[in-house]
Amino acid sequence: MKRALIVIAVLIILTPLFAYAAELVGYSEPLENIATNLGVEETPFYKGLLHDYTINGLDPYIGTLISAIIGTALVFIVVIGTSHLLRR
Amino acid sequence: MHIPDGFLDLPISALTYGLAAVSIGSALYLLEKRGINESRIPLLGVLAAAIFAAQMLNWPIPGGTSAHFVGSGIAAILLGPLQAMLVLASVIAVQALVFGDGGLTALGANIFNMAIVGVLIAYLVYTLLKGRSRVAGAFLAGWFGAVSAAVACGLEIGSSSIFAYNILITVPVMFTWHALLGVIEGFVTASAVAFLTKNRPELLSKEVKAS
Repeated sequence: MKRALIVIAVLIILTPLFAYAAELVGYSEPLENIATNLGVEETPFYKGLLHDYTINGLDPYIGTLISAIIGTALVFIVVIGTSHLLRR
Repeated sequence: MHIPDGFLDLPISALTYGLAAVSIGSALYLLEKRGINESRIPLLGVLAAAIFAAQMLNWPIPGGTSAHFVGSGIAAILLGPLQAMLVLASVIAVQALVFGDGGLTALGANIFNMAIVGVLIAYLVYTLLKGRSRVAGAFLAGWFGAVSAAVACGLEIGSSSIFAYNILITVPVMFTWHALLGVIEGFVTASAVAFLTKNRPELLSKEVKAS
């Protein structure tokens, strides 16, 4: 369990680095590339509270890091909570 | 492969919402009936958290695309299909609702692709192969999990008018790129299973019973 938590912490710490690297190379996901090639555009009508893993007014990389922490914690709580309701 | 709003026609959106709702509903019903073993609950939470964090890391693939780890395979192997569906669906729901990653109108499709199709295919592949080699089975489960979810995504957008029904473009392109990504997914999945076989075999030995 301790090792698993260390792995998660490392993944979280890596998120701003990967965000930076992604910007550097400018690659997109295959789905986005298909959309671009076929001239399809998104029509986002709901942006989410922390859109695209950033926090308004904060440095994007710090926003990504905080988003990673919030999201990871939230997913953990949701799954633990649901599992408890279904426990034997 | 998170589909945003505006990519799917209403019938596709509605159909995938229906399929996702029925599948997740059935999984929850069965889990409720069987009960989740209390000692396994921390594993579910930790794996869900790890998959969320890992999905935030976009790997550049030479040739101009990037892709991220999906996690359907490792979840299916460690948790069995029902709990894996719960874990992946929770990850995808938080991504859409909190971070706007994947559209609300496409939430059903995204859950269907990664939490249902990816999980069930990965589980099937692993179940068929683990008797011969756990590690090879895990590699292929990771690969098939990611690729099957991508193909499902390609089918859905390719059946939508905004993509001009170019299903013969969307499916092969999604397949090809994720076949490459799938190698990373397979490698990570196989490494995790190899590590756990050596260090925490009890996590794997309960895999089927715990479903």
